[in-house]
Amino acid sequence: MIKDENYYKNLAKSLMFNLSDKEASDMKYEFETLYRQLELLDKIDTTDVKEMIYPFEDETHFLREDVVDHTISQEDALKNAPVVKEGHIVVCKVVK
Amino acid sequence: MNLEIEKNIYDAYENAKKLNEKLNNIVTLVDPKSQIDELKDDGLLYGMPIALKDNVNTKGIKTTASSKILDNYIPIYDATIVKKLKAAGAITIAKTSMDELAMGGTNLTAFTGPVYNPYDLNRISGGSSGGSAAIVASGVVRLAIGSDTGDSVRKPASFCGVVGVKPTYGRISRYGIIPYASSLDHVGYFTRNVFDASLALEVLAGRDDNDMTSSYKEVESYSKLLNSNIEGKVIGIISNVIEAISNKNTLDLFESLIKKLEEKGAIIKNIKFDDDLMKAILPTYYMIANCEATANHSNLDGIRFGVRESGNTTEEIMINSRTSGFGSLIKKRFVIGGYGLLQENQEKLFRKAQKVRRLIVEAVKKSFDDIDCLIAPASGNIAPLVSGSDIDELDSEYLVAENHMVIGNFTGYPSMTLPLGFEENCPIGVNITCKAFDEVNMFNIGLAIEESTGLKDLVAKVK
Amino acid sequence: MNYDVVIGIEIHCELKTKTKMFSGSECKFGAQSNTCVNEIDLGHPGTLPCVNKEAIKKAIQACAAFNLKIDPLLKFDRKNYYYSDLPKGFQITQQFFPIGKDGYVMIDCDGERKKIRINRIHVEEDTAKQFHLDDETLIDFNRAGTPLIEIVSEPDMKNGKEAAAYVEVLRQTLLYIGVSDVKMEEGSMRCDVNISLNRKGEGFGVKNEIKNLNSIANVQKAIDYEIERQSKILDEGGIIEQATRRFDESSKTTVLMRKKEGSVDYKFFSEPNIFPIRLDDEWIKSIIDNLEELPDEKRERFKNQYDLTDYDIKVLINNKSLACVFEEVMKFTKNSKACANWLITDVLAWLSKNNVSLENSSMKPEHLALMINMIDDKIISTTQAKDVVLKEVMEGRNPEDVASEKGLKQVSDESSILKLINEVLDEQPQSIIDYSNGKDRAVGFLMGQLMKKSKGQANPGVANKLLVEALKSRIIK
Repeated sequence: MIKDENYYKNLAKSLMFNLSDKEASDMKYEFETLYRQLELLDKIDTTDVKEMIYPFEDETHFLREDVVDHTISQEDALKNAPVVKEGHIVVCKVVK
Repeated sequence: MNLEIEKNIYDAYENAKKLNEKLNNIVTLVDPKSQIDELKDDGLLYGMPIALKDNVNTKGIKTTASSKILDNYIPIYDATIVKKLKAAGAITIAKTSMDELAMGGTNLTAFTGPVYNPYDLNRISGGSSGGSAAIVASGVVRLAIGSDTGDSVRKPASFCGVVGVKPTYGRISRYGIIPYASSLDHVGYFTRNVFDASLALEVLAGRDDNDMTSSYKEVESYSKLLNSNIEGKVIGIISNVIEAISNKNTLDLFESLIKKLEEKGAIIKNIKFDDDLMKAILPTYYMIANCEATANHSNLDGIRFGVRESGNTTEEIMINSRTSGFGSLIKKRFVIGGYGLLQENQEKLFRKAQKVRRLIVEAVKKSFDDIDCLIAPASGNIAPLVSGSDIDELDSEYLVAENHMVIGNFTGYPSMTLPLGFEENCPIGVNITCKAFDEVNMFNIGLAIEESTGLKDLVAKVK
Repeated sequence: MNYDVVIGIEIHCELKTKTKMFSGSECKFGAQSNTCVNEIDLGHPGTLPCVNKEAIKKAIQACAAFNLKIDPLLKFDRKNYYYSDLPKGFQITQQFFPIGKDGYVMIDCDGERKKIRINRIHVEEDTAKQFHLDDETLIDFNRAGTPLIEIVSEPDMKNGKEAAAYVEVLRQTLLYIGVSDVKMEEGSMRCDVNISLNRKGEGFGVKNEIKNLNSIANVQKAIDYEIERQSKILDEGGIIEQATRRFDESSKTTVLMRKKEGSVDYKFFSEPNIFPIRLDDEWIKSIIDNLEELPDEKRERFKNQYDLTDYDIKVLINNKSLACVFEEVMKFTKNSKACANWLITDVLAWLSKNNVSLENSSMKPEHLALMINMIDDKIISTTQAKDVVLKEVMEGRNPEDVASEKGLKQVSDESSILKLINEVLDEQPQSIIDYSNGKDRAVGFLMGQLMKKSKGQANPGVANKLLVEALKSRIIK
């Protein structure tokens, strides 16, 4: 079922971006195509089939030793930050 | 340093700059001076100019993944492969264009604009590693790094007449590569011949503790083990792909190659996978990739790095930065990915796709009981026109012929594309896939193909 | 009306490791902002997580201490949401396969022992710290990525006291086994309470969550208040709305933070960048076998092994290092009561006054033991010990040396004391008269004179006894 523009706009908002009116309207078409593609997916019987999360499923054993080996300077940490104040990254007052 | 080697580097740099004006395949040119100064005495790639796809983090050098939101991002660390390449003596002269955030197959979505095919500037280079494919195809460098999540190295390799390698999953460390879909992402690369391809892997491969999915398997001396003797090797043609292709030229070129391989002693088999399973490859890929990508790029919010737009609240800052920073196509992909991950949808979308992935992988795995290698044309056709007509994404031919290489991403098996032939003076490629960590076999069969076609070290004369 | 109260508690606890959960940068409380981070903690593009072995070890220790079943296959998941203190836009946690399940602790409440079950313990990473100024927020990422364990109880608690007892057992045990600093005031242990009320016989009521509890006392206060608040509403026929509340210390009430409009969809899915990790059975076994003695176990052992009051045991158990020193001292003396007493009162007082920690003090256990034995053998008096010897022992000196040097060795020999007593009585005839007239104060005065004469060396106990006898005999005369 194709939802209306507002649904897609709200979904986008929950993903922290806005869709323009055109983009929201385009989404309807995208989803039409998507659903038809998903029909191809649904054709495949996956009863009793486990999800494949990784291409390889051998168990590993590696765990990292608790040794400080990589801390960067404050300068590097803040180098790309858009707004910096007294060694902190600045944003608008966050309302909890 | 040897003057000739130094000249070679600067020539490549100038060449890259010049050709970029036609191909538009470079995001950032990298002046090689400081790298030349720091160069040590030896290395497998000593003095070799190379290019890196712009999703490879280079410390101190702008890295954008061809997205506006990262247009000002200067990484504070090097990707592991960058360190390895440096240690081997390679000199980076360019960061190449890509489809934004690696999500695309055309290289038409880069923030810096489309990348053009060196063989025909009216055609696409293919993507998402189009910039790297083009820089090798146009003769600028012998080696360019790309990434392959759903054939993003192997398809542009076909369109640009070069060798495109996607090794086994975990063979090359992904640490420092801006991700697309973690369970499908592979670091890959382009060269103009199989020998260079085998050499490059010796440098790039190896366990990296920073990447917990990287393999401990021994890195073999692929270039030294290279030999084109394919006597007795069983090569399986994916007949679903052959049946889906309508382009007679492609089919003829392919058949001609198969005959030559048979003459070299290979045993040819026809492998037919379940048609429905083959048609499900694209939707399976699309769902898994978009879902994983949406989560992966949740860090692009303008807070700690990247282009920040203003807002009255922190939430507004994040929303405005992402709205402005992502292209339309990316936003659409994220909406689909976010949709697929919603708790109420995950079972029938994301997880369903993951289950179908397993079935596809099992089918492929089983086929390897009887074969050494799968083979098929990399694409049904040469590179589409930039102004090309809309593709029907539900067309059988499209679904199977243009997406079969994703099998290599689902399985993690090593896969490479090599030049097969030409049509309208534009190249078309053939793709082979071998078992996990069987790169030795893959390069050897690749070499046999290279010898059969005679297509080696091709350089496009950019008009 | 009486209601059934159902309380469940979620505790987040920072693990005492040197590096972060998924990166090799330093974990350091109180460091200058953004100096304990690397690109992974900052969620820079292209970074990948790398699991900290010591964090897993500590999680296993916690599971063992609380009787949880340990899953030897380590798996991680993503919890996706957007917030300025969450660098990656998702937290790596263990939603589907926690490292430990189905455990319990025993609490003592109002003289009764009660079992509180623990549903799960899982490993995850902490967020950055935000400082809210008037019109902007500053973010420090030092804390981002710090290893956490989340301990989720079953809703087995019924009131504030039980909740406080539960949190205290957890706190003390985690401190004992070295898993965490568990300083609620510093945030290395955080407590969220879920509470609902229902009429007897009815199903569970609507849950309210209380956050921001920074001390165990406040846990109890918050719950007590919340029970009252909800009871009142229900009494008046109202309904409880699902909400998140915070505890306001000044008013000692819970205050609404936000109403829950449906739950947040975190889109949990398996972390693709970490393959499942098989933990070595031998390794797990050795961690469990080498687990430090738990407070409960120590308590029982002290009861059986030493002659101590419940109060003494309580104080010692509450201070792990003190209990440790106690046992060290007890290797050299048999007087457990005196040992406990000296440690709990005078030693701790001296440490506090001189701003020295027990761990850093120069006091040698065998010296304290020797001092106690010297008192018992009447070589020095308790007064001498308190006034002179202890502080030297605290500086690391042997009490025998001190006693010799300062000529403190007590005279307990009765005949020599008697000689001095008679001298004093001869010199103070008025005191004898005062004593015979019932003025007991005279004894004190005479004791003072006696101590002067003996230069403080007369054993006060013995001297007092003999003095009184001598007085009595003189009066009879």
